[in-house]
Amino acid sequence: MKAGMWAIALTLLLAPAAAAQQRPAVAPPSGHLERAQAEFQAGRYAEALEEARRAADSAPTSVRALTARASMAEFLGEFNEARTFYDRAVALAPDDPGVIYHTASFAVRVGEYDRALGLLDRLLALHPRHVRWLFQWAPRVAQAWLLRENPSLEHIVQIKIDILTEKGDLEQARTLARAYAIVKADQNYCGEAQAKQQASAGRDEIFKAFRLATLGQPDSADCIWWYGQWLSDEGYVRLGRLMVLEGTRVTPLAGNKESGTRYVRIRLGGDRDVPKRAEQLFLIARQRYLRDGDLEGATRLFDEVIRLAPAFARPYNYRAMIAWDLGDREGALGWLQRGIQADPDSWRTHRNLGKLLDAVERYPEAETHLKKAVALFTDDAGGRLALARVLYAQGKYDEFVKETRGAVGFLANWNDQVPEVRAFLEKFERWGPGAALPPAPDPHVIIGWNYD
Amino acid sequence: MTERVWVVLAVGTALAAFPHVSAAEVYRWVDAHGAVTYSDRPQPPSEVVAPAPEPVSVRKATPAAPPVEPARTGPATVEELLELSGLKAQLAGIASRLAGQLQPTQGQMSLKDQTAVDRILARAVSHDKIYALVRDELRRDVDRVRLEATVAWLRSPVARKIAALEVASSEPATEQKIGVYAAGLKANPPPAPRVELLQKLDWISGAAETSADIVAAVTRSVSKAVSATSPPAQSLRPGQIESRAEEIRTRVSESIRQAQLVSMLYTYQSLEDAELAEYVRFSASDAGRWYNARMHKALVSAVGGVVERATAELVRAVPPERWTRAPESTPSKAQ
Repeated sequence: MKAGMWAIALTLLLAPAAAAQQRPAVAPPSGHLERAQAEFQAGRYAEALEEARRAADSAPTSVRALTARASMAEFLGEFNEARTFYDRAVALAPDDPGVIYHTASFAVRVGEYDRALGLLDRLLALHPRHVRWLFQWAPRVAQAWLLRENPSLEHIVQIKIDILTEKGDLEQARTLARAYAIVKADQNYCGEAQAKQQASAGRDEIFKAFRLATLGQPDSADCIWWYGQWLSDEGYVRLGRLMVLEGTRVTPLAGNKESGTRYVRIRLGGDRDVPKRAEQLFLIARQRYLRDGDLEGATRLFDEVIRLAPAFARPYNYRAMIAWDLGDREGALGWLQRGIQADPDSWRTHRNLGKLLDAVERYPEAETHLKKAVALFTDDAGGRLALARVLYAQGKYDEFVKETRGAVGFLANWNDQVPEVRAFLEKFERWGPGAALPPAPDPHVIIGWNYD
Repeated sequence: MTERVWVVLAVGTALAAFPHVSAAEVYRWVDAHGAVTYSDRPQPPSEVVAPAPEPVSVRKATPAAPPVEPARTGPATVEELLELSGLKAQLAGIASRLAGQLQPTQGQMSLKDQTAVDRILARAVSHDKIYALVRDELRRDVDRVRLEATVAWLRSPVARKIAALEVASSEPATEQKIGVYAAGLKANPPPAPRVELLQKLDWISGAAETSADIVAAVTRSVSKAVSATSPPAQSLRPGQIESRAEEIRTRVSESIRQAQLVSMLYTYQSLEDAELAEYVRFSASDAGRWYNARMHKALVSAVGGVVERATAELVRAVPPERWTRAPESTPSKAQ
């Protein structure tokens, strides 16, 4: 979830309680929550959590303080702490829809689906009897109106759809989406999503459009595949894998089937399980590192991810990146080697290791890993240019020319001319080997293959 | 001194430091007749009035007097290599330019701080310091056969003539002359075969690459030294410093290559094409490639090391915030 959305969520949590809610009368802790909110909005998340902790410690029966602490802890990947304080908040305010909703969302986030469903039932039970009756029995034509009038009902449906999808029951998820008019028959969601993508609409808008295409058009293999790749890029590897597999199943083209199968094997760890909690911790760890520059916090979370999912290659790559960032080159190499042991078919890990070995001038080893990367994914033009560079460094000029020509030819089809590579090749062919190593840019031409 | 200023300073230092590179930016364009022109300023709206260099075909061979050949008493040494190549002499120019670039501008700091800076630079950025680092780096991994072959080349009349020209060109006063020469190239462009020969020499010897790597090394060294004295929230991690150095290297590479070409055109004016071709042949030989690669490594490492140590001393003696002081106003007599 983006920081902006969290800011809204936090603001809602910190807002005065709704009139309908009945909770123990507790004086709000003075200042801490406001400071937590201010720190959060300023992007100082660790400080925001500290303030939220002080708020909850100074008013242990304030639902607002407890929920704020839980939300902040969840945002920073402190899931045990989040669980504890959501539970305390729910215990104090069992009929507070906001608290129940956030607790249910958190349960989905850490893969506790049954618990989430139980909480959603409680949330539903808070609605008036006639609303519940309509929600249960009204015909489909009335559901769109009902959900519009009761946004909390739409939240329930959307979470249930997510749960069914994540559990792999896409058929039931689609049935539910149709039953509650989330998607309608005969609407071209896939076309709409593609149009939004071509019009460069906002990322969230495009993302939602492809989700609807997946739910509303079970035969739209291309859109399902695209949605799966997007999820993979974002780090939602579990759902990404499910969607890529679904797109692969649905596509009638043998080439696409082969490509989809390979994608799952070399990019999503094949059938190696990544628990939901590990996946979510990974996403947060990545944000703490890349967005916040919080190396210590990110390292702790990545280590936890590796403990929970030892065969998941991505956290090893990030541990290597952090080690490199700290100037520990051997450490970085060690993490990547561990990543390859964990998943020998991880294209990205071989590629990163090859490039790192190139940077430390260990060319023969770099060649081995870059050759493996290119063998795993033959369209990886950037990997091929990196391979060409290490071949050149070892005086293997014929192979250098072959790989460079292959990459340049491929990139020309994508209108990416890599002029510096062409210029280098031209000089090499005119004057023979030069003193400098060839450039190895990393062209971003293929959606879905350049982020891990 | 802000970090940004430091980085700009670092780039300037490296550009001025390398013997073949003019600090001036060089522009290149092709006119309506397809002729390539080089200049140190963008294409003017009308003709530039600048002194034209002599046509290549009638240039007089006026190299500086070649150094007296030392008596050869045993196997070739690294010291002999540095002497014959002219690098030992060129290092004086490099040291002086490095120190000049690390100097604050006049009035930037108090007299007391200025004195401290002068003292540190005189000690830390000296010819002797850089020479010792280059020599030690070269001594680390001596390939006897290639060293002998290289020294044999350097003792040849052509190589001695080239070394003398390069030494003359490395003197700080030459920068201005190259600027004037570059302006004159518009009216009198060099023949295409000459340009091709020099581009080939640069390609094989990696001179422009060395300059770009020096830029990166100086950026890295200054950033490291400044970062080490900054508060944790403002200091850069090694990975960030590396990315910054690489980014700057990429950004300046092309202009360095252009400047390199002009500088070579100027420096080797008095050489015949055949002599340059001989230089290219040696550079492309096994010994030539070894020599250029070892020199590249030694120079980049030495300059980076000297700058890092000097900068560390400078920021310890005069903290960065004291490098941005406004010039002092003259006290009024009326007061």
